[in-house]
Amino acid sequence: MTPTPDATPSAQPERPGMRDGVCSEFTVFTKIKPGHADALREDLATLAGGSSDTDARAALRQIGTLHDARHVIFDNDTRHMFASVFDGSWDTYIDDFGKTAIGGRFDKVFSHAEGFPGITDPKIKDWFLAQQAPAGVFVSSYPDLTVQQIWKDQRVNEAFQAVLDTPEFRAALDNPANAELLATPAFQKLMEEAAG
Amino acid sequence: MNAGASTGGAGVRIEIDDIQSGALHPRPAPYVGRFIFLRVADRHAGRSLLRRLLPAIEGGLPSVDPSQDAWVAVAFTYQGLRAMGVPQESLDSFPRAFRQGMAARADLIGDLGESAPAHWEPPFGTGDVHIALSALSPDAARLDKALERARIAYQDTPGVQVIWQQEVHQLPTGRTTFGFRDGISHPNIEGLGLPGSNPQETPIKAGEFILGYPDETGNLPPMPSPDVLGRNGTYVAVRKIHTKVAAWRQYLRANTASAQEEALLAAKMVGRWPSGAPLTLTPDHDDAALGADPHRNNDFMYRANDDRGFRCPAGAHIRRTNPRDATIIGDARMHRLIRRGTSYGPPLPEGVLEDDGADRGLVGVFIGANLERQFEFIKAEWVNDGNFIGFPGEKDPVAGHHGGTGSATIPEKPIRRRLQNLPSFVVTRGGEYCFLPGLRALRWLAELED
Ligand code: HEM
Repeated sequence: MTPTPDATPSAQPERPGMRDGVCSEFTVFTKIKPGHADALREDLATLAGGSSDTDARAALRQIGTLHDARHVIFDNDTRHMFASVFDGSWDTYIDDFGKTAIGGRFDKVFSHAEGFPGITDPKIKDWFLAQQAPAGVFVSSYPDLTVQQIWKDQRVNEAFQAVLDTPEFRAALDNPANAELLATPAFQKLMEEAAG
Repeated sequence: MNAGASTGGAGVRIEIDDIQSGALHPRPAPYVGRFIFLRVADRHAGRSLLRRLLPAIEGGLPSVDPSQDAWVAVAFTYQGLRAMGVPQESLDSFPRAFRQGMAARADLIGDLGESAPAHWEPPFGTGDVHIALSALSPDAARLDKALERARIAYQDTPGVQVIWQQEVHQLPTGRTTFGFRDGISHPNIEGLGLPGSNPQETPIKAGEFILGYPDETGNLPPMPSPDVLGRNGTYVAVRKIHTKVAAWRQYLRANTASAQEEALLAAKMVGRWPSGAPLTLTPDHDDAALGADPHRNNDFMYRANDDRGFRCPAGAHIRRTNPRDATIIGDARMHRLIRRGTSYGPPLPEGVLEDDGADRGLVGVFIGANLERQFEFIKAEWVNDGNFIGFPGEKDPVAGHHGGTGSATIPEKPIRRRLQNLPSFVVTRGGEYCFLPGLRALRWLAELED
């Protein structure tokens, strides 16, 4: 993992990760600064637990493209892995994140990594690229769905199930005035889902 | 008792006569039975008890007519094996779930709230239960006869204390406290010479139920050491479950508009009608003749005619606990159980909707070679969650602990029915994990020295 020579600093960096459908994987391995492993562990624990769990959820909402992410300390406390799955690519919004609470979270964790320039540093993308190791296999069970769509689908399903629970909907199905709608293939498809 | 050993598939010889009758024996009907928990003061008391008990314990399969049979089985908790003076190395070779005991696994198997071990009936979960005796018989006279030798053994051995007893019996209705026939389904086990109840079930490897033979993974199930202790043994999860029959009837009444609807809703939750007739074969009404016919009442699969569950909902009790060939996450054959449900307490008279305060329910016995992969998996994944059938978070409507917030989806055209705010209909009163050794192993335990 040697840094890629940066010929055109202003251009989009390369994106070596693998893709499946709309999302891609992004895994970086960093060297933990000597003596920093415990501090990193503590920072991760703070980010993961207790009151900052609400913050973490809020941060995920704010990112809006992150499917999941994990931080792992390994190799006898000498190395750290950040593995994640993003819609599109991890770097699209990195400048935007720098200005939010997420930037603060990244700064905190990666400050224990050797050579980390800081999340708002102009060279931040290059630094991440230099630490990245692309996957050999990456598959998703829902390659067509972005995080935004999943959230939308969840809202639609909850609303749909709530409608199904109303006697008024049941009555509407029996109402001859709706026969035309009921007969459409689109509505039939919906009723397939309504049955169970 | 059938003499000799039978040959399993692939030429595996099963030492049937070394397996306690209580492991494989289907429950007679009608039946009476008793569970007796013993505590032994020390290993010498335990061993002399076991030496006296041995002649009362039979091995092998039931005779041709199962209703002629009565038997006593003896099983040990982990604390019991310790009390017997089983060497530490051997104790350590038992699987984790068994060593920890059922109470320690409460979070995992969902014994929470009013079902939590803190509220269990003593001596469940206290560590005091060492030996569990169980006896089942078609009638009281034969039960007493079968138990007599055992009774003399535990009464006359100094240092042996009876700490709990539970009578169980078939209710006059022939049904469980909720009003359903039980004891229908029994797995088809390869090479045992004991027919399964579903002619369409491909035989399950004997190692799923008895230690020492290949299981469905193709390997031998993990077996404790030494070999003589583990071989032909199996594990038993025993649970005493209180049933809130009035709450069950009230719920059904409150959520239906007629007696007919009430019966259908209950059947949708169980997967069978009160007679035992399965919804998959008779979706619209009970069929007493079908329910009573052992050749037909379990002769069905789900995928071909009912994969979406319009007849028997995927979430119904019997379909969750044995999904057969239905579309689910995972492989149903890896999670089979021999089970025996027996009722305790008086029935709530027909038509009564108010709770009379009586304690009634069942003592459930779940037998298999792998507690974690069978009993615990079924409880955690199939009874306490619905993700495996595409209804994440939905529990078994009958056996789940819902706490007033449960939901259950019943597929129906045009619109599925969704039960909401389900209360719990059952409360765990207690449970224990036991090891049911083979006969040679019992002798080994009785003859331990030091
Ligand atoms: C909590 C109270 C429970 C009640 C009232 C109850 C009742 C019943 C009834 C009436 C049947 C149908 C009879 C039959 O098919 O043989 C049945 C079947 C069954 N039950 Fe339960 N049960 C309870 C809990 C459990 C639990 C906790 C488990 C497993 C962890 C379980 C596993 C099974 C299995 C495997 C079957 C056979 C299903 C089949 O093969 O189709 N039951 N139960």
